[in-house]
Amino acid sequence: MLRQDINELLTQTGPGTPMGDLFRQYWIPALLAEELPENDSPPVRVKLLSERMVAFRDSEGRYGLVDEFCAHRGASLWFGRNEGSGLRCPYHGWKYDVTGQCVEVPSEADNSSFCENVKLTAYPLVKVGDVLWTHMGDPANRPDLPEYEFLHVAPEQTYTSKRWQQCNWLQAFEGGIDSSHVTFLHSGGLKSDPLFKGAKGNEYNMKDTKPFFEVADSEGGLFVGARRNAEEGRYYWRITPWVMPAFTMVPPRGDHPIHGHFWVPIDDHNCWTYSFDYHPVRALTPQERQAMIDGHGVHSKNIPGTYRPVANMDNDYLIDREAQKRGDTYSGVAGIAMQDASLQESMGPIVDRTKERLVPADSGIIKARQKLRKAAVALRDEGVTPPGVDPEHHRVRSAAVVLPQAESFLDSCRDAVKATPGVPQASV
Amino acid sequence: MIYPSESARAASASEARYRITAPIRPARNARVIALDPRAATVARRIAEGPWAAAGFYTCEVASGTDGEDGVLLRGLDGATSTLADALTGTDVVVVIATDDSGRAQAAAIGKSCGARAVMTAGLVLGDGFEAEDAVAALRPYARVLLLSADESDVFELLTALRV
Repeated sequence: MLRQDINELLTQTGPGTPMGDLFRQYWIPALLAEELPENDSPPVRVKLLSERMVAFRDSEGRYGLVDEFCAHRGASLWFGRNEGSGLRCPYHGWKYDVTGQCVEVPSEADNSSFCENVKLTAYPLVKVGDVLWTHMGDPANRPDLPEYEFLHVAPEQTYTSKRWQQCNWLQAFEGGIDSSHVTFLHSGGLKSDPLFKGAKGNEYNMKDTKPFFEVADSEGGLFVGARRNAEEGRYYWRITPWVMPAFTMVPPRGDHPIHGHFWVPIDDHNCWTYSFDYHPVRALTPQERQAMIDGHGVHSKNIPGTYRPVANMDNDYLIDREAQKRGDTYSGVAGIAMQDASLQESMGPIVDRTKERLVPADSGIIKARQKLRKAAVALRDEGVTPPGVDPEHHRVRSAAVVLPQAESFLDSCRDAVKATPGVPQASV
Repeated sequence: MIYPSESARAASASEARYRITAPIRPARNARVIALDPRAATVARRIAEGPWAAAGFYTCEVASGTDGEDGVLLRGLDGATSTLADALTGTDVVVVIATDDSGRAQAAAIGKSCGARAVMTAGLVLGDGFEAEDAVAALRPYARVLLLSADESDVFELLTALRV
C-alpha cells in the first residue's frame, strides 16, 4: 500500500508539482517523427505533463513545439496554416516561428515592433531516432540528448510505435517492471506471438510460475532480476532495467528483437506508451517489421489515423471468452500490449494505492516508487539532479541468461546489461 | 441504454466513487531478523514504526548446535527465543544483512522458512560486496532480495506489505 499523499505526489505531473518538475528534468518523447513527415505538414496537437501544445515542422524542416493557443484571442493553432517558415493562426493571421516568437501581426502597421513582444511558450523539439523529443524544463539545465540504444542503431534495425493509454502514467509504467505477470497474462503470447514464440527461455517461463526476485540499484534507476529454475543447478534470469523516470526494457527472447517502453504522462488520467523493438546487430526482417506494424509483440493495432488502439475500453478490448476458454489467451484479450493496457486501465484513471495488498514479489514496484519519491523531493528541496538525466545512464540493455545457481546476476551480467554497439544481446 | 458498469467504462474516475470501501486489516505477521550488529541498529530504528504485527530480532549463534537449532534470536527487549518459536504464526520474514558475519544464520533461517512456507525477503544494506556470502546463502530461499544502499527500504517494504 501507499499513503494517499505519496500516491498523489507520484501521479500528478502538471506544472508546479514535484513529479511534474521531475519529468521536466528529462528529455521525453513528444511525438513520433512520422507525425510530422515533411516540411509544412499539418500541425499536430500535443498534450504532455498537462500542458497543451502544438507541434509543427516549418518550411526549412525545423521542428517547433509551442503553446497551442494564439496569443491574440486564444484560438487553437492546430487550425493554423503551416506556411512560409511559420504557423499562422487562421483567425486573424498572427504568425509564429518554431521558437514561439510572433513574427507577423497583419493588423499592425508594416514596420510595427508590436510582435517582438509577443512570444508563445515554446519547448525544443529534436529528432533522435524515430522519436521527436522535448525538454520542458529550465533551458539552463537542459541535459544532452537521449542515448537509448534503440534510437541510435541503424534505421533498418529499429521500429517504434505509440498508443494512447487511458490511465495515469505510473500504473502503466509499473507493469513494465512487474516480471511475475508474464507467466499468467501473456502465457498465450509466449506460445503464439511471432515476436515472442520459439525461444528456449519461454519454456523456463512456463514451467516455473513462481519466480524469485532480486532488485538492485543502478546509476539511472534499477535492475530487476527475475529468477526461475532452469536445468539442474542452474537458474534462468530475466533482467529488466529501469531508467528514471519512465524507460524500461523487456528481457529478450531468443534472437527476437529486444523491446521496451517509455511512458509519458499526457495528463494525470492519460499517458502515451511508446513501444520500441530493435536488434543490436542486424536489420529487422520484413516479417518482424510487419508483425510490429500489425500490433504483435509489445505494439498495438491502432485505429487508422490515430494512436488509439482498435481494442479499447469502449469495446471491452474485444474480449473473446472462447479464446480464453481454449487457452489461446489467458485473459481473453488479444495481444501483449492490450493485455497489459486493459488491466491497467481497468484499475481506474489513478488507482487507489491505499487499498493495495502488495506482496514481496512486488518489491521492484515498491523500490521504484521510493526512488521516484525521493528524487522528486530531493529536486524540490535541494535542487538535486535526479538519476537518469545523464545520457550515460541510458546505455543499458535488458538480458536473459542461464547461470549457475551460486552466481549473482549482477556480477555475471555486468557486460550483458550494458548497451555496447555491435554486440548482440544476451538472450535465451 | 448501456450503463457504464456494463462495460470497461466502469473504469472511469466517476465510477470509482462506487467502489466498495471496507477497512483493510494488516495482512502480514512479520518477523524482522538482523543478521549482524549494523543490521541490528537499523532494525532498532525501524522497530519504532507503527507496526501492527511485527517482531524484531537480532541473531546469534547458539553454541554446540547447527541448523535451525543453531540460531538464537534475541528480541529488542533482550528476551531470547528459538527460531522455531519466532516463526510460529508468522507469514513473512525479512532478513537484514550488512556484511557476511551472519551467513550461516542466513542459510538456517532461509531453510526453516522454506520448510514452513514462510515468505522470505532479504535486504542487503550497503554496497552489497561486504555481504556477498550472506546474499549467496539467502538466495535459494529468499523470494525477494533487495540489494540496496538505503535502510529506508526496510520501512518501505514493511509499509507496502501492510505489516
